Amino acid sequence: MDEMADTPDNFDPTILPSPPSSSSEVPDVEIVARVRAGDEAAFEELFNRHRRRVALIAGRFFRQREQIEDIVQETFTKAYFALDSFSGEQAMSFAAWLSRIAFNTCYDELRRIKRHPESTMSNVSEDESAWLQEQVRDDGAGADVESAIVARDLAGKLLSRLSPEDRMVLVMLDAEGMSVSEIAQQTDWSPSKVKVRAHRARASLRRVLEKFL
Amino acid sequence: MFGKKKHRGFDEQLDRVGREIVRASAKNETEAESASSAPFLYARVRARIAAERKRREAGENWLSLLTVARRAVPAMALSAVIAFGVFLFGGNTPFEQSFDDDILFAANETGVGRVVFDDTDVLSNDEMLDTIMSGNGEAEASR
Repeated sequence: MDEMADTPDNFDPTILPSPPSSSSEVPDVEIVARVRAGDEAAFEELFNRHRRRVALIAGRFFRQREQIEDIVQETFTKAYFALDSFSGEQAMSFAAWLSRIAFNTCYDELRRIKRHPESTMSNVSEDESAWLQEQVRDDGAGADVESAIVARDLAGKLLSRLSPEDRMVLVMLDAEGMSVSEIAQQTDWSPSKVKVRAHRARASLRRVLEKFL
Repeated sequence: MFGKKKHRGFDEQLDRVGREIVRASAKNETEAESASSAPFLYARVRARIAAERKRREAGENWLSLLTVARRAVPAMALSAVIAFGVFLFGGNTPFEQSFDDDILFAANETGVGRVVFDDTDVLSNDEMLDTIMSGNGEAEASR
């Protein structure tokens, strides 16, 4: 289980921080209060501050631009109607609160896609299979562009074979570099459930990989 | 023992490749950036909010209708039970008494009606013919 505490080697912590905020910038909580008071323009301010962050979360799960845009729209729509449930006094910042909605929206979309497997289950090509075997054999990744493209295509195909829960927890651990407690906070799962889910997700991914080796 | 260790090593290799694959899948910054800066994205969000608001209002109408129905059904059932109770136990005149055979067959009346409706004194066809014939005879005699 200690693997879950690992931080990914290539995790870039600058990708998903809260949006830059200067001291002169109005805090999110105040803008939320303005939206609640009926100031519709204030919601645009919130949207402009956080849309990049939401799009990057969606990009962790979906590759097509249309899908990412759809997740961004859905996330902000849900956030708009749930603004009353956000309290600035609680431990979670607006960015974290919005991220939670974004992750949930991605999760819902993964589940929806999983119900239509014919749209996602494409076969692994020979190139991809060769790349996979090379990865296991060589104990290291080829860093060239072609290899990266193959890896991306293959990753999409392999991960589509996992359950939405497994995929969610793996992306949060390995791509986002989140800790177990952070995942628990985002998903509303208990830390022990996150650990168990991560363990099962790794086992599922191993089984998927073994099929193509 | 050796086989177990070897298998564990293979699992670790697979886990490492698995992590690489997850990270490769999540490397999608270019698409995400272009999606977040898409034109009219906010306008589309506003349109979606407006559509969702409409949908919720329609849902609320149905909900209020259902709430009214939910309250009305027990009230109507209660009033039906009360009405039935009043019907059974509330009246002074029982059902049987209100439809007396004597009234139906006009037992207290006299004359033709009494004769027609009285089951015990039904005239046979011959008696009826005799009555008519004798009636005609009396009429001729009186002439």
